[in-house]
Amino acid sequence: MRRKVLSSILAAILVASSLMGCGASADTAADTNATQSQQTDSTTAATDNDEMKNTSGDEEVTLRMAWWGSQDRHDKTIAAIELYESINPNIHFEYEYYSFDDYFTKLKTLVASDEVWDVFQLGGNFPQYMDKIYPLDEYISSGVIDLSGISEANLKTTQTKDGVQLGITNGINTYGIAYDPAMFEEAGAKLPTDDWTWDDYKEAADLITDKLGIFGSSTFVTSDAIAGLSTYVGQQGELGQYSFYNLDLTGMGFDDPKMLEPFIQMRADMIKKGSYPDAGASAEVTNIENDFLVTGEAAMTWVAVNQFPTIYDACKEQGRTLALATIPRVKKDGNSGAHIQSSQMFCVSQDSENKKAAAEFIAWFETNIACNNILQAERGIPANEDVRAALSANAGEGQQIMYDYVDKVSNFPTPKEINVLSPDGHDQVVDNYLNYIQQVASGEITAAEAAEKTYADAEAIFK
Amino acid sequence: MNNKSNSSKEKLRTGFNSDTVVGHVFAAPFIFGFVCFSLIPICMSLYYSFTDYSLGNKQAVFVGLKNFATLFKDEVFAKSIMITLKYVLMSVPMKLAFALLVAFVLTRKSKMVTLYRSLYYVPSLVGGSVAVALVWKQLFARKGLFNTLFTSIGLGRVNWFGDEKLAIYPLMLMAVWQFGSSMIIFAAGLKEIPTTYYEAAEIDGANGFQRFFKITMPCLSPIILYNLVMQTISAFMTFTQAFVITAGGPNNGTMLYALNVYNQAFKYNKMGYACAMSWVMLVVMSLITLAIFKSSKFWVFSESES
Repeated sequence: MRRKVLSSILAAILVASSLMGCGASADTAADTNATQSQQTDSTTAATDNDEMKNTSGDEEVTLRMAWWGSQDRHDKTIAAIELYESINPNIHFEYEYYSFDDYFTKLKTLVASDEVWDVFQLGGNFPQYMDKIYPLDEYISSGVIDLSGISEANLKTTQTKDGVQLGITNGINTYGIAYDPAMFEEAGAKLPTDDWTWDDYKEAADLITDKLGIFGSSTFVTSDAIAGLSTYVGQQGELGQYSFYNLDLTGMGFDDPKMLEPFIQMRADMIKKGSYPDAGASAEVTNIENDFLVTGEAAMTWVAVNQFPTIYDACKEQGRTLALATIPRVKKDGNSGAHIQSSQMFCVSQDSENKKAAAEFIAWFETNIACNNILQAERGIPANEDVRAALSANAGEGQQIMYDYVDKVSNFPTPKEINVLSPDGHDQVVDNYLNYIQQVASGEITAAEAAEKTYADAEAIFK
Repeated sequence: MNNKSNSSKEKLRTGFNSDTVVGHVFAAPFIFGFVCFSLIPICMSLYYSFTDYSLGNKQAVFVGLKNFATLFKDEVFAKSIMITLKYVLMSVPMKLAFALLVAFVLTRKSKMVTLYRSLYYVPSLVGGSVAVALVWKQLFARKGLFNTLFTSIGLGRVNWFGDEKLAIYPLMLMAVWQFGSSMIIFAAGLKEIPTTYYEAAEIDGANGFQRFFKITMPCLSPIILYNLVMQTISAFMTFTQAFVITAGGPNNGTMLYALNVYNQAFKYNKMGYACAMSWVMLVVMSLITLAIFKSSKFWVFSESES
C-alpha cells in the first residue's frame, strides 16, 4: 500500500505539471473563441471605382488587419474591405475584430512577438505603441497616398509633436451624454441644457431613480476616468489652466488632489442611491449596444458621439427617441472641458511586409466616398471634407444629431493646446480609481482619501 | 570501404536496438515539448522576475529584488492573496465532499449507474470554458434566473456581483459544480474497497454511518489525498471564472491570484512584476502542497502499516 501511495503521489505531480500546461492552452483556446476571427473571401459588389485601383501592380498581397468596436462596425468594415478586394483583386485581407479590451490584449501579445497586423487601429493610448507604428510621411511626400482632402487641423490630430504622421484619423469625435427626453419628462426632471452642471446631472439622475425606479445615469464604464474625472479637472480654473496629465505626458497637469474630490463624492453618492450602476451592474454592460439606456434601464449614458447613431437607431426600433447633451460642467459659466479629437486612427505596422499596400488601403479607407457610404461615419465624422459633405447630404436622423452636436461643440472655446493622450500605466490608474469609488460608496475610505490615492497612483507613473 | 559502411550500419542497428536509445527516441517528443514549452519559459520567467520587462517596449532592465519588494507594498496583491486563500479553503473541501457524496451514491449496482456517472461528469468537460462562465454570469445577474426565482417566491433580489463580500460565492459554486473528475477517481477508489469489510461490519452490527467513517473513509484516504492535492493546485490557478464573470470586481472582491498576474502582465504591461508574482505563487503553492503531504501521515491510512 505504501508503494501505491508513493506512486499515486508521483502520478499526482506528473498530472499537476501537465495540468499547468493545460491551463495555459485553455487560455489560448478561450482567446481564439473570443476572437471570432474570420478568413475572408473576395468577390462581392462590383463597382465602377476603377480609378481607385491600387498601384502595387498585380502582385498578390495579403494584408492582415484588425480593429475593435461594436457589431455594427464589424459589419460595415467587412463590407468596405470586400469592396476594396473587388476593386483590387490582387489584394486579400485576413481580418480580425474584437471588443476594446480583447483587442489590446491581443495587440500586446503581437507586439511582444513582432507580429503586429499590417493595418491596425489605435486610439488615444498610442504613445504606448510608438515603436510599432510605421510613419506615413514617406508615402505622403512621394505621392503614393493623397491626403489633400483632409484639412491640416485634422491631419494634426494623428501627428506627433514633431509633425510625424503616425496614421490617418478614422473620424473626428467628442464626448456627449445620450439621454431619453421622455424619461426625463415622466420623472419631472429638468432637461439637460448646453450649460448644465454636474449638480444638475446628479439631481436629474436621482429624481429619475426615485420616480421611475431605474438608473438615472448608466455607467461610464472605464471612460468615467476620462470623460468624467479628467474632464472635471479641465473644467476648473482658467481655460486650459489644468489638465489631468500635462501636455507632454511627463507629469500631472494639476497639483491639488482636492480638485478630484467632489466628483468622486458624487459618483459614490449616486452608487449608494442607486442612480448610477455599481460594479456588478456595470460589468453587465459589455458594449454600447447593451447599455442600460438601450435596454430601458437608465435615462442617460455616456457616449463617444460616433456611437450615438447606433444607439439612436436601436432605440428608434423600440419607439423611443434619444437626444444628445453636452458633458455637464463644474460651473454654468465655466469651461466646457470638451474638445474635438480624433476618435481613432489606422496605422501601418513596423512588422508589415506590405507597408505600401497597407498605406494605400488606409488612404482609400479614409478618403473614398463609396467606401465611406458603407461605413456611414460609424467611427466618427470623416476627416475628409468631400466625404463629410457627401455623407451629411443624406444623413439619417441619428447622424444628423451627431453632426449638429459636433458643430456645436467645436464652437465652444477650447484651449490652444490640449492633451487627449494617456501614458503607459494609465489603465492601472483607472482600475484603481474605480475601486476607490466602490470603497467610498461602502464607507471604507472617504472621498478625500480616494482623491489623494488616485492622484498618487497617477503621479507614480512618472517616477 | 564497403566493409566500413557495413560495420557502421551494424553499429547503428545495435544502437537502435539497445533499450536506452529506443526509450529516448520515444520520449523525445515529450522532452522536446517539455524543454521548449515549459523549462525554457520557466527559466525565462525567473530571469524576467528580476527585471522591469514590459510587453510594450520589450526592454528588460535588471532591477534586482525591486519587484518582490514592491509586492509587499501592493494593496491589490495583499487582497488577492487573501481572496485566493479563501477561495481555495472553501471551494476545495466543498467540491471534494460533493464529489465523494455523488460517487458514494453511484456505487450502487444498478444499470443506470454508468449513465448517471457520465451525466455528472459532463460539467467537468465543459466547466472551464468561457461559454459556461458567461452562462453563470447570466444566472446570477441582477435580473438573472436566481433573482427571478427569489422574487417569485417573495424574497428580495440578491445583488450577487455588486457586493464585494458575496461575489466570490457564485465563483466557488461554479468550481464545486465541476466535481466530475474527482468523482470518477473516488468512484474507482470505492470499488477497490473489499466488500468483505462491510459484511463483517454488518455482522458486528455497525450502522451506515459507522461503516462509512470506519471503513470507507480510511480505505479511501489515499485517494482523498490525491484529490485534495490535485484540486488545491487547480483551485490556486483558477482564472476563467474571475476573468469572464466579474473581471476581479467589485472592489477587487474576486481578484483571484491568477487574474491579478494576468492583469499585471497583459493589461498594465508589467511583465517582470507579473513573473515575480508567479514565482511567489509557486513558493506558496509548494509550501501548501508540502504541508498537505506532511500532514498525510496522520490521516492517510495505509494497509501495510496496520
